Amino acid sequence: MRRAVLAAAVLAAACAGLPAGPARAAGDAAQGKALAAERNCATCHGAAGVSATPNIPSLAGQPEDFITLQMILFRERLRDAPPMPDMAQGLEDPQIEALAAHYAGLAPGHAADRAPRDEARYQAGAALSEKLRCGICHLPDYRGRAQIPRITGQREEYLAQSLTQYRDGKRHGSDTNMNAVVYGVPDADLAALAHYLAQQ
Amino acid sequence: MKPGLLALAAVSLSFAAAAQQAPVPGWQQGRPESQAASPLAPNAPKLTVTPVDQLPVGRLTLPAGFKAEVHAHGMPGARMMAVGANGTLFVGTRTIGRVYAVTMEGGQQKVRTIASGLTQPNGIAFRDGALYVVAINKVLRFDGIEGKLDAPGTPVDLTAAFALPPEEHHGWKFMTFGPDGKLYMQVGAPCNICLVDENRHALLLRYNPDGTGREVVARGVRNSVGMAHHPVTGQLWFTNNGRDWAGEDEPEDTLGVVQKVGEHFGFPFCHMGSMQDPEMKGRECSEFSAPALRLGPHTAALGMRFYTGDMFPAEYKNSMFIARHGSWNRTQRSGYDVVRVSLDAQGKATMHPFLGGLLDGNAFLGRPTDVQQLPDGSLLVSDEQMGAIYRISYAR
Ligand code: HEC
Ligand code: HEC
Repeated sequence: MRRAVLAAAVLAAACAGLPAGPARAAGDAAQGKALAAERNCATCHGAAGVSATPNIPSLAGQPEDFITLQMILFRERLRDAPPMPDMAQGLEDPQIEALAAHYAGLAPGHAADRAPRDEARYQAGAALSEKLRCGICHLPDYRGRAQIPRITGQREEYLAQSLTQYRDGKRHGSDTNMNAVVYGVPDADLAALAHYLAQQ
Repeated sequence: MKPGLLALAAVSLSFAAAAQQAPVPGWQQGRPESQAASPLAPNAPKLTVTPVDQLPVGRLTLPAGFKAEVHAHGMPGARMMAVGANGTLFVGTRTIGRVYAVTMEGGQQKVRTIASGLTQPNGIAFRDGALYVVAINKVLRFDGIEGKLDAPGTPVDLTAAFALPPEEHHGWKFMTFGPDGKLYMQVGAPCNICLVDENRHALLLRYNPDGTGREVVARGVRNSVGMAHHPVTGQLWFTNNGRDWAGEDEPEDTLGVVQKVGEHFGFPFCHMGSMQDPEMKGRECSEFSAPALRLGPHTAALGMRFYTGDMFPAEYKNSMFIARHGSWNRTQRSGYDVVRVSLDAQGKATMHPFLGGLLDGNAFLGRPTDVQQLPDGSLLVSDEQMGAIYRISYAR
């Protein structure tokens, strides 16, 4: 218990100013690595957790809590995003925590097929992010925290697709924050946001 | 209309009550510009099993003579509790979408998931062999449930009869049967602070168990996730969550009692009977009913029950236990405990600490969410964060 409490304290210090969350034990990253190999996660999400496939997200460096929560939402069929709900069937909670620890520990990186920066769209995206305060929840460098995902350096078309799904009420997470954030935002603005974030 | 547009319309409906303002996340709504960069945000849920040796039961503090032990565990998101006629403990959840059933088998508590994939099935109640489950805009009845826990089958769908609003924000339910045989529940305000239709939101309601006979019991109640009828007077007591972003120390959450059917407790104009809302003007606190007691700022006072057992000391009889889930909209955490509220001969309410120990500095170790008395007079406390239920007993 002492150790867990200490871990919470360290976490609290890391997100300076934030009241600390609950003490929690981390998953077993080595077990997660083996499980990811066994379940062929790399076929789609990339060998190092950086996806080379359109519409499949990179997982490397995502906050552990975010991956765990999304995997549970998939397993419980609360997030309907094929093929993941089927992929997640039969995974026990400690296995999910292990997978999360594994991917959270990998170094984030850009997709090799990333398009070059379009300065006008980049600047438009930056302005929108400022206006819609994306950096307050996702943190100013967009690396995410706890249940809030890393969105910097993610695949552009996946970001655009996610934002569209939130806006159109087709994706629900562990809360409805994102649905509200992008409520009524036009396609072109979502595309600019996705471009800006992918180019970070 | 294309399906996408339809979905949009559905989303926009959920913000309709926020009048013409740009929609913002419900919890952020009402946050002043001066606090736009505040890092405060709702705590993340934990949806995985917490191993029993990591439960904080050893850290719980109680008055002398009381003892806490783990009653059941391995049930992520465990929230509201109801006990069946044959002793089955039913447990609702929010994010994970499940309903659990806990039974004693071979000297051990066995946990089953009897329903899943629901949208926030927080409200549960038991009557005449049937389990009632309320999710967001969904009401289900599992008849004869205790005889078929392994295969509950398809429940009776009462959704159309109840005709609840579809909003998710504050749309999860607390539900309990009254001495009149009616089903009591709340419909919260679909926002932090907003003008509401006073026949649709921020209400306490009662229905016949089949969903007919809807009646407004109280108005102007922001969101009550705990209600119980006094065992002697039969009056309805309820907890109410105060608004956010109006101060670290105010408004406080409250405990109210309905003296007259249909009375108004002030939301969104007046909080805790005395605080005029900084934004919502036009009606005065003097127009509204005041609460019986304040329960602390941002403490998230949720599940409550009266204690009617014989196990605890005599002064506990007919007092209330209230689970305080704990704050997010406050720099220094508050709540994260269970308090007891006693009533004197004049009906004056007083709060006493009961179960504590879940705050370690400003970090929390668990989140008490509901309380439930067992037939032997012991008290169960659900911990949503740890997915566990603790049993509190007393020995002289
Ligand atoms: C056949 C391809 C495929 C395989 C194999 C696969 N995934 Fe996925 N995964 C996807 C796709 C596609 C999505 C995006 C779904 C969507 O949003 O529509 C996804 C999404 C996810 C997400 C959500 C990430 C986010 O940013 O929202 C996680 C977490 C995830 N996968 C983990 C895993 C793990 C762990 C494994 C191995 C057990 C795995 N996936 C195997 C295709 C795959
Ligand atoms: C109020 C807090 C909040 C704000 C502000 C916010 N987000 Fe999010 N965002 C979240 C949360 C929480 C999630 C995870 C939701 C879930 O479980 O699906 C998320 C998820 C996402 C995802 C999905 C990523 C993935 O890998 O699946 C994207 C993309 C995203 N946000 C982009 C943005 C952008 C762009 C902005 C600004 C326009 C923004 N967010 C503002 C809280 C926020």
